[in-house]
Amino acid sequence: MSPLLMAALATLAIPAGMTLLFGVVPMLRRTGKPAAILSILAATTVLGIAGWLFATWLGNPTESLQIATYWLTMGGQPLGQVGVHLDGISVSMLLVVATVAWCVQLFSLGYLSDEPPNGLGRYFTYQSLFLFSMNLLVLAPDLMQLFIGWELVGATSYLLIGFWYPKPAAAKAAIKAFVVTKFADSGLILGLMVLAVASGGFAWDAPITPATAEIVAGLLFVAVMGKSAQFPLHIWLPDAMQGPTPVSALLHAATMVAAGVYLIVRADPIFSAAVHVREFMTYLGAFTALFAAIIATVQTDIKKVLAYSTCSQLGYMISGLGAGSLLGGYFHLTTHAFFKALLFLAAGAVIHAVHSNEFTDMGGLFKKLKFVAIAFIFGSLSLAGVPGLAGFYSKDLILEAVHESGNHFALFALLLTAGLTAFYMTRTVVKTFLGQMSHSAEHAHGPGPSMTLPLLVLLVPTIALGWAAGPFATLFGKPYEFHMGLVGYTAIALGLGGIALGYLVYGLGALAFLPRLFKPVATLANSSVMDELWQSVYEIGGQTPSRAAAWTDRYIVDGLMNFIGWLTIVLGQQLRKLQTGDVQDYLYAVFGAAALLALFGGWR
Amino acid sequence: MDGTFTQAWLQTVSGGGFPTLTVLTLLPMLFAIFALFIPGELGFAHKAMSLVGSLITGLVGLVVLGQFDRGAVGLQMVDNFNWIPSLGVRWLVGVDGLSLPYVLLTVGLTPIVLIGAWSAIEKRWKEFGIAMLVLETGMLGSLVATDLMTFYVFWEIMLVPMFLIIGIWGGKQRIAATVKFFLYTMFGSLLMLVAILYLYQKGGGTFVLSQLATVQLSDKEQLWLFGAFALAFMIKVPVFPFHTWLPDAHTEAPTPGSVILAGVLLKLGTYGLLRFAIPLFPAAMGKASPLLAVLATIGIVFGALMAYVQTDVKRLVAYSSVSHLGFVMLGIAVFNEEALQGAILQGVNHGLSTGALFLLVGFLYERRHTRAISDFGGIAKTMPVYTAFFVFITMSSVALPLTNGFVGEFLIFAGSFKEGVQSSILPPDGGGVAWRTMVLTCAGVATLGIVLGAVYMLSMVRRVFFGPITNAANELLKDLTWRERFLVGTISAFVLWIGIAPGAMLRLSETTVHAMVQPIRPQIQQVRSKADFQREMRNAAMIRPQPTR
Repeated sequence: MSPLLMAALATLAIPAGMTLLFGVVPMLRRTGKPAAILSILAATTVLGIAGWLFATWLGNPTESLQIATYWLTMGGQPLGQVGVHLDGISVSMLLVVATVAWCVQLFSLGYLSDEPPNGLGRYFTYQSLFLFSMNLLVLAPDLMQLFIGWELVGATSYLLIGFWYPKPAAAKAAIKAFVVTKFADSGLILGLMVLAVASGGFAWDAPITPATAEIVAGLLFVAVMGKSAQFPLHIWLPDAMQGPTPVSALLHAATMVAAGVYLIVRADPIFSAAVHVREFMTYLGAFTALFAAIIATVQTDIKKVLAYSTCSQLGYMISGLGAGSLLGGYFHLTTHAFFKALLFLAAGAVIHAVHSNEFTDMGGLFKKLKFVAIAFIFGSLSLAGVPGLAGFYSKDLILEAVHESGNHFALFALLLTAGLTAFYMTRTVVKTFLGQMSHSAEHAHGPGPSMTLPLLVLLVPTIALGWAAGPFATLFGKPYEFHMGLVGYTAIALGLGGIALGYLVYGLGALAFLPRLFKPVATLANSSVMDELWQSVYEIGGQTPSRAAAWTDRYIVDGLMNFIGWLTIVLGQQLRKLQTGDVQDYLYAVFGAAALLALFGGWR
Repeated sequence: MDGTFTQAWLQTVSGGGFPTLTVLTLLPMLFAIFALFIPGELGFAHKAMSLVGSLITGLVGLVVLGQFDRGAVGLQMVDNFNWIPSLGVRWLVGVDGLSLPYVLLTVGLTPIVLIGAWSAIEKRWKEFGIAMLVLETGMLGSLVATDLMTFYVFWEIMLVPMFLIIGIWGGKQRIAATVKFFLYTMFGSLLMLVAILYLYQKGGGTFVLSQLATVQLSDKEQLWLFGAFALAFMIKVPVFPFHTWLPDAHTEAPTPGSVILAGVLLKLGTYGLLRFAIPLFPAAMGKASPLLAVLATIGIVFGALMAYVQTDVKRLVAYSSVSHLGFVMLGIAVFNEEALQGAILQGVNHGLSTGALFLLVGFLYERRHTRAISDFGGIAKTMPVYTAFFVFITMSSVALPLTNGFVGEFLIFAGSFKEGVQSSILPPDGGGVAWRTMVLTCAGVATLGIVLGAVYMLSMVRRVFFGPITNAANELLKDLTWRERFLVGTISAFVLWIGIAPGAMLRLSETTVHAMVQPIRPQIQQVRSKADFQREMRNAAMIRPQPTR
């Protein structure tokens, strides 16, 4: 076996081993910090391996290696592989996951320093489980293993959102995330089934007819909508912010939610044949991008802003993929993973400093948290698409692709989103780091080294990854050439305009009518409406039938059985009266019967 | 007594090998007889005796597994004795890939249940130990017997200890629950007995399954006999609408009773369908399978909905059984290799995960003497290990990949979809469209059943374990003891093992399933496509314009 494959297998085995170790040896887990350090060491090894694999692939981009064994047999025929598949896509994604995971684990050490040891150990058990599951998903040789990883990251997400389970809101959010994505995942199960029937396996490059591809892609996309938080299944993501902030950075911004996008990239042979599904993706992605961006402009909780921003950026990726830009969608996934993780971790540092998520408890923090502020501002600029930073390049690729596809609605929505993104991120920066210092901000304390180092690491790709778009594209075997079109200039203008406007409104207090103008739209779009809608769907679809079922079970199903029982008893009691024990009665009966028989016989 | 009788006994020993299965079946009974001679005051001796008995049986079970040839078709390790020569009843026992997983499940769960009972059962250990051992013999006998009368004897033997376990060691409403349980099961069994006797007449005085399977029956006879058999088994499973005995029985039964009931007894219903009802009456199965599929699907959804509104944890788990066994029934109704493999495996899975859930609920009950969800909340804080196990088993119950539940349900879905999209052995007359549409619909609805499963299980977990502690009584709860950890830990290991490497379990039944599907499926299919063909002809006749003169 090639050492590359062995190394790739190790990226699965190491975190899996950690999880099992922590799971089976509670003594170790309950030590807290040593367990955490062990987990971080494991993550470091994984990161090292991922880096080595990535470097190898940069030298030889078209190589594809695979080792797989059959996991399930179906009617005597093998089906469903497990193993690792290495190519440009999986190797680069592995590096993204490993980097962010490493940063997040290190950051968590500082962020959760107040956590009791057993809580900390539990947290790092989940972190290791997540790293294993995500790597399983990324390295999947076919859709079967991808699905396994997909479900496992969903379960880890449940565990991590509910990490602070005594908080009722956290426990509820955990269930919501699990159930909404599980509901969407039925699309993935169904899609896999159709694929298996049509092609005899779960390979993403199996030859299928375009009609089948439409069905399969459509079903898979339902699952993507759940995992990657696309309208109207996005409702779980804002609630998921109940988890610890590093978790939000890793799962709910950088990697897990991007798994939907990764699925589309992986299953590109299926999706590229499904023209209608892709058109729908373009529309839906653009709509989600705009919709979530509007909501983000009125949030007062820094994590909620970032959550809706994640929704919005995922919409970008989906829209780009729909328009046919594999590179654009995937490259944006990558840049977004870094700058959004940076933003979340920086936000985590802020929250750690002021012990609150609310803007009202922040303000003026630039003086207290200089490095955090700089990191956050660079993240925001990258997200806002300021030229030269990573987000700009990837966003531009998507916009160009949507422009070329001729979908004017999507293009318009995405351009508007670009402006709005710059606007709400400026708002966030101003409300957090500039302006009047709040009471709790005055007592803010700076982050320790374990929290600063990850920010520093993430800052590098946030700024510079865009310059590597060329080599990155070679991993896909796609040509990349940077050029600016009208769309690009418009996006730059809108982005800078958004920043300027945001600063005008929130920094200088000018144009106060603008937020007021915006408020009704944003309020209308705000999640509570969607939440209530889903709540009623849930009630109508779940609780009412449940009550009906309970009634039926008690009064109809069981009632019928009880009625039979009652009837038996009643009949028995009545018939019992025939047996009087009186010989004369019996004789009457005998003679009566004989007489009847005689009569009957004679009449015949 | 003259020599011929003894001679006849000896001659009918087939193969002359060691009668492993006979020993396996009768060992628990033997220990039950030993236990009779130990005074009832020695509770400890009875705990030890029953455990040793079940452990030795477990070892014999391992021997059976070791001797089992996975590649061989047909029954293995057959012991064939003349049991009641005057009636033609034979002691004919054997295992194949269909029964072996359940035999292993039985011999594995019984010791676990007995250790679990150390704290759950507080009185009359003598009677309890004996009841459990007799029950084990009943279950094993039902699984290995392939003579219908022998099977029936064991089938009824199971009923009595279970009746006693619920009736003596059960909860407050135990008598009502036992009566319900007994009446339901007895009702089905008696009809089956009538059918067995009818077959016995038709088959020329034998109860041997393989001989009865060749008896020529008219369509009508097949349908009635199948109905009688299927009803008995469907009540046992239980299939909607025959399920109402189950929640009562489960709720009132003591923990060991619930675990065995969910773990093994219910599975005997699905096993019986596969072993007896379908091979004996394939044509009737062809007619009935759409009904079975629909009832199975209703069961999945109905059970899930019912589970959602329960206020008692144990009752919730009981209704979840109805839902889970719906999946198994769907696999049986579809009856192709994938679905059957899935159904057999899912039976084992359900035995493990629901068995573990009942154990866990029992542990909680022993601490708090309540099972009402509203009495709990936030106990993850006081019982972290317990919570970890409970959440893990919950994940198995909601079919998370890398737990056993996923593999079984996935195979059932795969089989159903294959059946729905491309019934490969459809005759060319174009029939079967209605059936295929129906199977697809059922499978689609069943997919939603998984989501509902997540809803009710996780809501319960949230209300019991998460949030703040609201009830002061929960603040001093003790976490699991080592004995309890060992019990659920063992089951959890199997849950994980089947989930990660399902191949070993699947290969156990692969050959048998293949050999079973090959001859039976065409017969089922033939009936089905004939019916569809006729329906389509009728439709065509109605649509066809009248010839004009």
